[in-house]
Amino acid sequence: MKTGKKRVLSILQNGLLAIYAIFALFPLVWMLILSFKSDTEMFTTTFVFHPTLSNYTEVLMNSDYFRYMLDSLIVSGGAVLISVLAGVPAAYALARYDFKKKEDIAFQILSFKFAPEILVVLPLFMIYQKLGLYDTYFGLIWVYQLISMPLLIWVVRGYFEDISVEIEHAAQVDGYSWYQIFFKMLLPLIKPGLVSAALLAFIFAWNSFTFPLMLGGINVQPITVAVTKYLGTDTAHYGQLAVAATVSALPAIIFALCIQKHLVRGLSFGAVKG
Amino acid sequence: MKKRALAITMSAVMAASMFASVGVSAEEGSEFDWKAYEGTTLNVMFNEHTYADAVIAKLPEFEELTGIKVEYSTTPEANYFDKLNTALSSRSGQPDIFMTGAYQTWEYAPAGYMEPLDAYIEDATKTSPDYNYDDFIPGIINALRWDLVPGHAVGEGELWALPMGWEINTLTYNKKIFEEKGITPPTTTQELYDAAVALKEFGGSGTYGLAVRGLRDWGTIHPAYMSLFATWGAKDFEVEDGKLVCKLDSPEAIEMTDYWVKLIKDGGAPQWSTYGWELCGADLGAGKAAMMWDADRGGYTQNVEGASAEAGNLAFAGIPLPEGKTEQLSNLWTWAMGMNADSKNKDAAWYFLQYFTSPDFMLYSGTEGACTDTPRTSVMESEEYKAIVGQAEGYLESFETVSANASIFFTPQPYFFECTTMWAETLQDLVISDTYESTEEAMQTLAANLTELVSDLEVE
Amino acid sequence: MAKKNATDKVSCNMNALPLKTRMRPYLIVAPALIITIGIMIPFAMAIYFSLTNYSFRMPTYKFVWFENWIKILKSEDFWRALWVTLRYAFWSTLVEMVLGMGVAMLLNKLNNAFSKILRVVLIFPLMIAPITATIVWQLMLNSSVGIVEKFLNVFGVYNFPWAASPDTAMLTVVMIDVWVNTAFVMLLVLAGLQSLPKSPFESAKIDGGSAWFNFKNLTLPMLKPSLYIALLFRLMAALQEYAIIFGLTKGGPGDTLMNLSLTAHLTGFKFQKFGYALPYILVLWVIVNITAKQIVKRQRAAQKQASGLES
Repeated sequence: MKTGKKRVLSILQNGLLAIYAIFALFPLVWMLILSFKSDTEMFTTTFVFHPTLSNYTEVLMNSDYFRYMLDSLIVSGGAVLISVLAGVPAAYALARYDFKKKEDIAFQILSFKFAPEILVVLPLFMIYQKLGLYDTYFGLIWVYQLISMPLLIWVVRGYFEDISVEIEHAAQVDGYSWYQIFFKMLLPLIKPGLVSAALLAFIFAWNSFTFPLMLGGINVQPITVAVTKYLGTDTAHYGQLAVAATVSALPAIIFALCIQKHLVRGLSFGAVKG
Repeated sequence: MKKRALAITMSAVMAASMFASVGVSAEEGSEFDWKAYEGTTLNVMFNEHTYADAVIAKLPEFEELTGIKVEYSTTPEANYFDKLNTALSSRSGQPDIFMTGAYQTWEYAPAGYMEPLDAYIEDATKTSPDYNYDDFIPGIINALRWDLVPGHAVGEGELWALPMGWEINTLTYNKKIFEEKGITPPTTTQELYDAAVALKEFGGSGTYGLAVRGLRDWGTIHPAYMSLFATWGAKDFEVEDGKLVCKLDSPEAIEMTDYWVKLIKDGGAPQWSTYGWELCGADLGAGKAAMMWDADRGGYTQNVEGASAEAGNLAFAGIPLPEGKTEQLSNLWTWAMGMNADSKNKDAAWYFLQYFTSPDFMLYSGTEGACTDTPRTSVMESEEYKAIVGQAEGYLESFETVSANASIFFTPQPYFFECTTMWAETLQDLVISDTYESTEEAMQTLAANLTELVSDLEVE
Repeated sequence: MAKKNATDKVSCNMNALPLKTRMRPYLIVAPALIITIGIMIPFAMAIYFSLTNYSFRMPTYKFVWFENWIKILKSEDFWRALWVTLRYAFWSTLVEMVLGMGVAMLLNKLNNAFSKILRVVLIFPLMIAPITATIVWQLMLNSSVGIVEKFLNVFGVYNFPWAASPDTAMLTVVMIDVWVNTAFVMLLVLAGLQSLPKSPFESAKIDGGSAWFNFKNLTLPMLKPSLYIALLFRLMAALQEYAIIFGLTKGGPGDTLMNLSLTAHLTGFKFQKFGYALPYILVLWVIVNITAKQIVKRQRAAQKQASGLES
């Protein structure tokens, strides 16, 4: 009786997940299909067609695609790296220490993330031109901090706060230095939060559009700005756009796969604290 | 990406007829000193377009000839002007050269961002004797002249930019579908309406008669709608007592708009209000739309073998005439290149401009470079050009008929984009909502709003 | 079992410590703050320019005091834009929160092979830039060449207007936003679920509490900090959404989807009236900041409560 009920419940739950998965994944599958279609078959066929690699060769071989990708990698990767280096200690300080204006400082950092981009971008454009930061990797990595840093600090801070102070005290009593405690004990404990936050920060930086559009251009041109180029201007090449979009998602996907053990770890392994 | 199927087809056709090199040869203008600005670096901003591709393909030759180094960026059209506006307003002198349309010069030139070009063209020390300015088709080059007085038509005053290519707006139809359904290409607006209605769902759900743009921006107004608007005899603005007054509430404007709204409602795309040129072209190419009224290039490129499912089935007609009208008036669009007034390398920039609008380069871009709407008479009359473009049925004929009277039928004034966006919004309201009781009411409201909007312009 | 104020424990007697130690937290926070502080300058400039008639179109500008502000606050467009902004933010955030949380809990609970794969692949929509995602959706939803139309035809639905009609345009953009961003909520909640401590649940098991009881009294309070973070980031982004709406309809049909961001962008960049566009965006910024502050306050409280529950 009870197992029957459980079974129905399980089927129901798996079913619901499957429905959501179709909604979330079908557009991606469809995009993948488009990327293998020639312009002539683009709209006259659905699932049965003559697959072609011409879109791939056109985008990947006959254009600067990999240059755009590399720019994206440098800028987004650099941004996340700096966010982690500067953000994790900051998150720790904001979690552990009690100091004047602490909440104000924390909120201040956060509020940058919510600054409307178009409000920031024009003055920033003028300042960047004066400082020589316009169209440079450094300039973009800096402005990307607005995207990645607040997210990272706020997610990681929560994880630090979840860790009981007694663990630290006990380790101190055992003679471990603060650095040892931080790197050997605390970091492993916040890892699930840190990797998810870093992944999200990377994705957001990668997908950022307004900043690279306005503050980059000739020397630095990330893929988000470049990707709509592939739509073309004589006829709309949706197949090439699909290739450009699909391939541009790969770094984030690879990133996600690399940290998948943190993402898929079940509840049973999750009890690391307390 | 750069040249695409179109260019490949063209090069094949051309192989026989072309001479050894299509580039600009340095030897011809031997007295002219192309090396005068050797060592200069120019910064160029392109909109992502076939016209830009043709220039980019020939950059190495330009660099070799002049010793000028060119740095460039290309930006997709949806964001190009945002970026350009920002760059120009910073007044840093970058970019030295930028792509622009005619309408944009109405904003940029009064703002002092654009360098007038006549002085350069007339200066024999700056311009190669081969340049042949008079070879430009007058209608097109004049579209880029303006005396900066809001309300004054284009064609007078300084030249602000040089054309790379241009577009007129004509009807493209699918002759296969027309034959199947026994419909003849429409020559009057009544026939166009009847055909569009008769072709509603000609091939099942989702198929329809006529594709035109419908998005909430200026792109909806300037191609087909404005062409018919002008052909119908309507005007957007007129100068009265030293002020611009919007005439969108004139009987012709209301009658024409009423027709247009009915045409879209009864024979247009079900999701018309989301249509830009991409979807119009996609539907025509996929055989979902039987006709398209948009830039002639749009239909032309769909017709190139391998470009779409219906390639080869498309044919071109001119502009259907309303009752009592005999003249087909197409509003024209031109992509052009202008010089930043703040540029620190103006003379070198002029070298760039004259090289990439010279007869030799234009012959290359008009044929091998896939920019089929050439602004130069010499190219249009060349055999190479006719051999390629003449393959599309009715293309050259309608191009010649319509281009004779093509012009910019908007009244130049710096609020162009705001006006046309509001105009498009009103069209959307008329087609898909019941915001207004009648077209008349809508156009009166719109005209009042636009007159108010431009009221601070001095028309002297 | 609850020990309150777990976070404050280090701090009890900060003032008695030597200066160097007292300064340490500031020093640690400083790099992060400096990196982001340069951005303050644009804010000051924006407020200044909102009081001028600054335009890309004119070589000079002059001070007009509150003319822009008064004109905008009096205009119908502004209030409509505000209403569109709030509706869009409300619906997209609500659906994403509920859906994201639901999916995360199912994934966590099932813990089978199927769910383990989904945990990774369901994040993929996040990795397509919203502007590209919108183009793909637009194609899918098109009534002539779209795949969704073919699917709906099977159920006898023809020519569903999606973004082309004022009645369904909001639904369509919210749906695309949900498609892109639900995974964000899901990921944060999932990470939160995975770092839940075991012991409270074990003791609850011994006490024989019902599943609902456990959820309400243990899971939810401990998840709350993560949920608030997700809410914070989603709501703030939704209030400012630009790419999806612009990509799909440019604000149409009519002015159905003209929110504050879009109006400001159009006015400032396309119509070249930068000074006049700034009040729209400054109002938006004020709304965003006030809302953020409220959520953060609740997040902090929830965090304290959750830390208490764990020990």
